[in-house]
Amino acid sequence: MEESNEFSYPGLYEVVFMKAEKFINTVLNWGRSNSLWPLTFGTSCCAIEMMTFGATKVDADRLGVLFNGDSPRQSDLILVSGTITKKMARRLLNVYEQMPDPKYVIAVGACNVSGGLYHDSYNTIEGIDRIMPVDAFIPGCPPRPEEFLDAVRVLQKLIKENRSKAQENGRS
Amino acid sequence: MVEVDKLKKAVKGELEVLADEKGLSIVRIKNKKLLTKLAWQLKEAFDLLYCISVVDYSPDFELNYIFSNYSNSDLFIIKVNITEKDFAVDSIAGIFNSANWEEREAYDLFGIKFNGHPDLRRILLPEDWPGHPLRKDFKVDDEVRNWTGLDLKF
Repeated sequence: MEESNEFSYPGLYEVVFMKAEKFINTVLNWGRSNSLWPLTFGTSCCAIEMMTFGATKVDADRLGVLFNGDSPRQSDLILVSGTITKKMARRLLNVYEQMPDPKYVIAVGACNVSGGLYHDSYNTIEGIDRIMPVDAFIPGCPPRPEEFLDAVRVLQKLIKENRSKAQENGRS
Repeated sequence: MVEVDKLKKAVKGELEVLADEKGLSIVRIKNKKLLTKLAWQLKEAFDLLYCISVVDYSPDFELNYIFSNYSNSDLFIIKVNITEKDFAVDSIAGIFNSANWEEREAYDLFGIKFNGHPDLRRILLPEDWPGHPLRKDFKVDDEVRNWTGLDLKF
């Protein structure tokens, strides 16, 4: 397409279409951010805190994070909590690839941020952002259940602002 | 209680007794080919193999087979030395069933071959992992650190 210096106003239909697309995206993002169904991927002690996150006292349900039974095919969000060894990395990616788009990842605990206690070990993935796109990290060894709520709020904000990794990679 | 003298006779004296107290016997086999024969003898008095531990005295390695039984808590420890030139030992997985996974672990982390093992694969690490990590000469370098074994797309 040739570049022209002439400025042309968008037509009426284009304006309507752009407005409608923006409106539909806003509604979709609102819906997606408030119904994050998680897939729990617990491999060690962070999984215990993840259980508390779903239980009554912290109550993830009020943010729409509904623990609906673990099936990767019905989940939007994967909570990777626990050390990911190099043998487990294949299993994790196998599960992750079964999830439908758009999919979001929260990395829980120091092991998934940088390797944590097992940093510079021969058998640990030092941060799962090496193997998959991560939206939110939760530091701590293990983190408090309230920090899970914070991460979900951060992720919801990212989705509403079109800044999550799935949306940036054009997979929404 | 197993009699060490009887065992010594069974393996034709190729046995060095390091300790023979009540409830604890430690022996060292001079010829590692007699390990299966000794294990058959032990099968009468001891009915489980607690663990196989490997000690790295580079370049030689030492295997410790620790036996015990359910009726009393007697321990019987066999030490086998292997050299780097002949880095293999006969498997006793056919005699003591728990030796199966223990020998796979020793193979995984130290690279010791067990002749006659039914299924000698890695047990803890991925199948295509480079090297044997618990050896003294193993170094965590960038190749090991960045190894994921994955075909990453993003």
